[in-house]
Amino acid sequence: MKRSPLKINIAYLLPVGVLISLVIYYPILKGVVIAFQNYNLFNTKNISFSGLENFKLVVLDQAFPFLQIVINTLVWVFLSLILQFLLGFALALLLKKPFKGRGIYTSFVFYTWAVSGFAISLIWSWIFNGQLGLMNDILLRLHIIENPIGFLSDTRFAMISVIIANVWYGIPYFGIMLLAALQSVPIELYEAAKIDGAGSFTQLLKVTIPYIWPTIISTTLLRMMWIMNFPEIIYGMTSGGPANATNILSTHMLNKIYIEFNYGQGSAIGLIIMISLFVFAFIYLSLGTRKEDRV
Amino acid sequence: MRNVRSSISSIARFLALMLFLLFAIGPLVWIVITSLKSADEIYTFPITYLPKIISFSSYQKLFSFAKFGIYIKNSLIVTICGSFGAVFFSIFAGYALSRIKAHEASKRLLLILYFTQTVPSFILMVPLYTMVAKLRLTNNLFILGGIYMVTVLAFCTIMAKSFFDRIPQSIEEAAIVDGCTSTQALYRIVIPLVTPGIVAVFSFAFVNIWNELFIAVLFLSSPNKMTVPVALNSFISKAGISWDVMGAGLVMALLPTMFIFAIGQKFIVSGLTEGGVKG
Repeated sequence: MKRSPLKINIAYLLPVGVLISLVIYYPILKGVVIAFQNYNLFNTKNISFSGLENFKLVVLDQAFPFLQIVINTLVWVFLSLILQFLLGFALALLLKKPFKGRGIYTSFVFYTWAVSGFAISLIWSWIFNGQLGLMNDILLRLHIIENPIGFLSDTRFAMISVIIANVWYGIPYFGIMLLAALQSVPIELYEAAKIDGAGSFTQLLKVTIPYIWPTIISTTLLRMMWIMNFPEIIYGMTSGGPANATNILSTHMLNKIYIEFNYGQGSAIGLIIMISLFVFAFIYLSLGTRKEDRV
Repeated sequence: MRNVRSSISSIARFLALMLFLLFAIGPLVWIVITSLKSADEIYTFPITYLPKIISFSSYQKLFSFAKFGIYIKNSLIVTICGSFGAVFFSIFAGYALSRIKAHEASKRLLLILYFTQTVPSFILMVPLYTMVAKLRLTNNLFILGGIYMVTVLAFCTIMAKSFFDRIPQSIEEAAIVDGCTSTQALYRIVIPLVTPGIVAVFSFAFVNIWNELFIAVLFLSSPNKMTVPVALNSFISKAGISWDVMGAGLVMALLPTMFIFAIGQKFIVSGLTEGGVKG
């Protein structure tokens, strides 16, 4: 008896389907339910539906001003994203033309992709250390500052410090993705532009960017979603402090779950993140693809 | 004139490349240097840029006092179980997804896989923990490895599919004409052709599982079960961080991913750009 190929393919897919439904999708659904429940680890006998109570408590929380957290989230996401993108794009452009040792060079500059968020937070905490940090030492030696700065304990510097660590981490992602896209641009397009007298900057603007536009849209959107869901760096460097200066939605959620054990409110914040991401993705894609038509 | 301009631009390019390199590896080099200083030297001001005497005392403390060897072993168990499992399941699922491409169902399944990448993972952690706790399976490294496997499975499957997409179906059909069954064609002909893809999937799974902290914090309760990231997390106390032990611990935590990245970089890069989702 010969089994039909379709049946075999279904059999190959089944384990992954079952595992992902059980370990990812079922808990997500339960998590969404918990967002509408009064659910605290210290009071698990007393779990009950509470409607929108969790959302109300999160938004009206005096100790963690919601508006400030939302603004911090926007600053964290967009400043990190823009810097990661611009530097990653610059790196990709630099790497496009082959040079001696390019292979080994890319291994070094792309390695930060493989460092964990938590390890990054520790490495950069040490560099930004208020007394013994490398950053303070360099700035003092160059006479840019006269006294050491508490980068992570001063509300003025904490956000920019965690963003620098995040940019360090994110450059390889854009470098890798945009380099691949750049290498797919047909060389004839550049030759045609050269005949028309276009300089290298005009070529970048008129040939390269339009051609790789779909990659730019999809990578920035995915990276944006990813940064929004990425509390590790802030958790390790400042835990959202000082005085909420670096508290973003995902660290707020993490603190609710791991410190206060308030799963209901933690899940409510998670749901807020998910819904805002979907809304944003929808708007971004409809704007981004329309731009593509125009070009 | 033209020569002058092109040499200026190549110097500028060289300088820019050097700045990127300095920014990328500077922090890593700094941690390695810190780990090779004695504790006294780490805590003196002004700081020294190179150790006066190269000292391995931080590493000695790490492995004797902090028992780091156990944590490395635990992390290896979890990571190897998780990444081999992910490779195994994602090869079959990726192959199947690639071969039913024409079906509408394939697109829908892909969307279901992509969706898992956009959800904040913390929303599923507590329900997952209560599920596993009910079965009394927490604090078990193999169960943790299994959970990790599933957390990377969606992306690994997407990545594997993109590699199978490049192998034309006609190759299998030719093998079947020659008398192979379709299963034999998969094992003997197709899988050997996607070895780079398998390396990419494995490297991706390995790096992500090796680095994971928060699921492990939740699922492991006894100190002798801690993985490397959990151990590093436990070095942070209210009194602050002992940077000598932490520096050495970080270097040990980075070494395996450096090794994997050195071997698999080329394949990881092509896997990322094909699958295209996760940072």
